[in-house]
Amino acid sequence: MKRYLETGNFAITEGAILAGCRFFAGYPITPATELAESMSYRLPQVDGIYIQGEDECAALHLCIGAALGGYKAMTATSGPGYILYADPYGWAIGCEIPLVILNSGRVGPVSGITGAPGQGEFYLTRYPTQGGNFETIVLAPNSAQEAMAITVEAFYLAERFRTPVTILADQLITDGFEDISVPENEEEMKEMGFRTWPRKINKGPEFYPPTDEIDIPPVVLGHNTGALCSDWTPTEEGYDIEEVAAHHKHAYRLIYKIRNNRNLFSNLYEKTFLDDDPDLIVVSYGTPSRVVNTAVKKARERGLKVGALRLINLWPFPDEHFQKSTRYLSVELNWDGQLVREVQRAVPKDAEVHFLGSCGDLPTVQDLIETFEKLLKGQSLSRRGWELEGW
Amino acid sequence: MRTEILASGFGGQGVVRLGQILGEAAVKQGYRVTMLKSHGTEMRGGYVRSQVVISDEPIDSPIVENADLFIALSLAAYNAFKHLVDSGVILYDPAFVVEIDETLRCTQIAVPAKDLAVENLGKAVFANTVMLGVTARMVEVLDRDVVLQSIMHVIPKYQEENKRAFETGYSFIDGN
Repeated sequence: MKRYLETGNFAITEGAILAGCRFFAGYPITPATELAESMSYRLPQVDGIYIQGEDECAALHLCIGAALGGYKAMTATSGPGYILYADPYGWAIGCEIPLVILNSGRVGPVSGITGAPGQGEFYLTRYPTQGGNFETIVLAPNSAQEAMAITVEAFYLAERFRTPVTILADQLITDGFEDISVPENEEEMKEMGFRTWPRKINKGPEFYPPTDEIDIPPVVLGHNTGALCSDWTPTEEGYDIEEVAAHHKHAYRLIYKIRNNRNLFSNLYEKTFLDDDPDLIVVSYGTPSRVVNTAVKKARERGLKVGALRLINLWPFPDEHFQKSTRYLSVELNWDGQLVREVQRAVPKDAEVHFLGSCGDLPTVQDLIETFEKLLKGQSLSRRGWELEGW
Repeated sequence: MRTEILASGFGGQGVVRLGQILGEAAVKQGYRVTMLKSHGTEMRGGYVRSQVVISDEPIDSPIVENADLFIALSLAAYNAFKHLVDSGVILYDPAFVVEIDETLRCTQIAVPAKDLAVENLGKAVFANTVMLGVTARMVEVLDRDVVLQSIMHVIPKYQEENKRAFETGYSFIDGN
């Protein structure tokens, strides 16, 4: 095991290479540029290929081409680039092509603030393309070390589910430095809980059956099998068609292969002080969750009955964690409140749901503890960010 | 044990590099480390900031809320973050921080790093290394030799000059 002080971008690069990624196409954007840079350096060392696309849309199309050629492929960007993936993302979902995509969140909309963290793409990662009729898999790490592990896991899930997997990080994770341990062999990878899945090649059926089955290998061109790669609706026989019954079967597969096999990754969450029915459950993901954890530990020392739920698996949304009728607080790096809407949907009808937003900067431990105290006293939160008074 | 170090200034002063060197030294000493950097587009009025947290346990919150040491390299940075220092120390370069807040309770030490660099090494560019020398002297958990090693590793050029700049900074506190 080697120890470094390195960025999340470095950790993700190493994770991808450990997972067998040998193709990267991207377009530079802060805070994911360093990932492209380290891939351009590292991939040739392991007989991999690095290509800079003319833009993000092209980059993801290049990844699709590489995946259809048998490569495990990855791209990386930030919010302004992620929206340009809309077209190829849809192709990859529809044609069931395994890919890994990193979105390193900065402050939006549009270019916003480049070198500061934001969480504005919670819903965008659920619907990264048009048309509906699909589920997406989205994972959110909260440290550089975990970003490495989640990258390995993303490749694993992409292969088994035949679908793109988005890693939703934020600028502090990819750009920030942290002490990182990198495994140097398979044994050390196993010790760290990394699991990998090799690229297998579909030797038939012609396309995929209308079931929720996973583990049917993806199509790889040039292996004497049907290799449908079309933007129209596929049939089981490997033809494309515009027909409602065929579409129904296709949509069923895209939705239920993920919904019905969620147990493969539904263990990706972290619960802190949730065993004693806390009076307040703080929900978060990504870097804010680290401040939440410190705040919750300090709040417990002060006798406040607060617990923390950190989501790593964001989509499909893990409704099962929201069964208790209590107070919830969603802490997010945006002012509009995104995760909070999903929490509101998932909780029992008589639960209370609150939102604390900030953007570009993390909330402080002190902010959070004050917020917990207010909520536990039954006071309402002033809607920070929605009123400019006092700024 | 948790030590928080904040450095902030203009782009180009080496604020990120400084944090990286301190962080790397702490990793070499076996500590857990986080080092967040934020950089707006500095030409449009932002500041650059490094937040280093060193601990012997896994680090949850990576943000500096109660700095043990704040290295202020611009007036804007000083004014933005001085309130984060309570019982800690502020090191500031009077060449940039031309006016300090006398109402603060914490210890504030003027380190004329830019002038010392020009005087001793002929170039202002070594100011950063002078500041690293002072920091290595001030921060208890950091080992002097390991910080120097990290400087040599992170900045492979001008090793002799950087060594001298580091020594200048390291002995500065005791000489004043």
